[in-house]
Amino acid sequence: MPSSNSQTTCITLETYLCAAKDFIELSAKFMDEWTIHQDHSERLYTHLKKEDFITHVDDTGKETLFRAEYAIFYNLSYGVPSFSFNVWDCTGKLLTLEEVRGISPMNISTKDFYSVVTQQEHPVFHRPYFIIHPCHTAELLSMFKKSSKNIIITFLSLITPLIQLKLPLEYGLSS
Amino acid sequence: MANDREVLREIWDGKIPICFHLAQEEIMEIQQPDPFYVMVPRLSYFPLVTDKMKRHFLRYISQENADNEMWLDYNGQALKWHYPIGFLYDLFCGNDPQLPWTLTVHFTKFPETVLLHCPNKDVVEAHYMSTVKEADVLKHRGQVMSTMQKKDHNQLWLGLQNDKFDQFWAINRRLMESHGDNEGFKHIPIRIYTDDGISCQRLISPKNNDGSRKTVQQLLSELYPDKPEVKLRTHGVLIPLDTPLQWLSEHMSYPDNFLHICLC
Repeated sequence: MPSSNSQTTCITLETYLCAAKDFIELSAKFMDEWTIHQDHSERLYTHLKKEDFITHVDDTGKETLFRAEYAIFYNLSYGVPSFSFNVWDCTGKLLTLEEVRGISPMNISTKDFYSVVTQQEHPVFHRPYFIIHPCHTAELLSMFKKSSKNIIITFLSLITPLIQLKLPLEYGLSS
Repeated sequence: MANDREVLREIWDGKIPICFHLAQEEIMEIQQPDPFYVMVPRLSYFPLVTDKMKRHFLRYISQENADNEMWLDYNGQALKWHYPIGFLYDLFCGNDPQLPWTLTVHFTKFPETVLLHCPNKDVVEAHYMSTVKEADVLKHRGQVMSTMQKKDHNQLWLGLQNDKFDQFWAINRRLMESHGDNEGFKHIPIRIYTDDGISCQRLISPKNNDGSRKTVQQLLSELYPDKPEVKLRTHGVLIPLDTPLQWLSEHMSYPDNFLHICLC
């Protein structure tokens, strides 16, 4: 079924901005380290950012440390929040898409992973980032729209199976 | 509908002569390589037209770099392969035409903070298809792309890759149709770039509030109210100010279904 009702499932910029502000308050409360960045001349560029270290344990039990940067921004064409990230190894080298797939919590095929994550020029930062393709976000979020307390939290919980991202469980308990 | 077929054909046939030089620090042979000249379609992408050029230069570089990702620069500025060639030319040389366009070829020091990686043509195809999809979301809420079959998507890509106008337009015409009872797209897929190659996202309607067709002039006074002198260039031409946006989108969009326009 083509999503003919996408008009009703879109998250407006207003909704996104409100959810982003609420999310930042919760993030501070739960000692998560998301920050909000606002461009006062252009509200569209309001984004949330977090930097973190993540570890990956391979099949042999060897642990590797990486630095990750996450950014949530508003995708105007699709009318949904979008998730973007970059990961660097300990030498400061940017991971390739294949290497990112290698440290995904999910055992996912190359083809499937590449259909969801692609490297793109970031619409806000104008440099290369991995971006989760927004085409199914609207559909997924609409399923949770009524029950979701905060659309950003719901959105992030859809990402975490695919990309290593610590999401404190308290977010789910908050009212 | 895109009815002015001569315009479509003219745009499709646009070509740019390019002169590739190998970067001086890459040359490992005593004999200097000849530059490599080629005519390339404005609508294509560099990774689709540089196989021969790459082979030409490979024997002059250090073999340990032969499997590295190749990249190009113009006057020290790295060229983003994910934009159509004609747009890149207009961006860098629009105000000051240079033919042939002289570009430098590199096999080392890939600027990964600026350029997307392009290990193979599948990456170009994926990028192209996702841009067409985004354009269709703007025009028809994504309904045309989602009702097309996989073979139609392939035909679009192959038409572009193999420079086959009829093959491409047999499918692309469906993406250029207006739906519903009113003439025109929901929004116009358009990116207007300043000199630094940065574009600002905007939702642009093909119509004014009173329902009349919006022209380039009206768009400019909406976007740049304090800059009455600005002009727009695409495919090497300055766009007449009375051009309706809907017509412009149907006829002057790149194959990725976006208008890529330089502000000048």
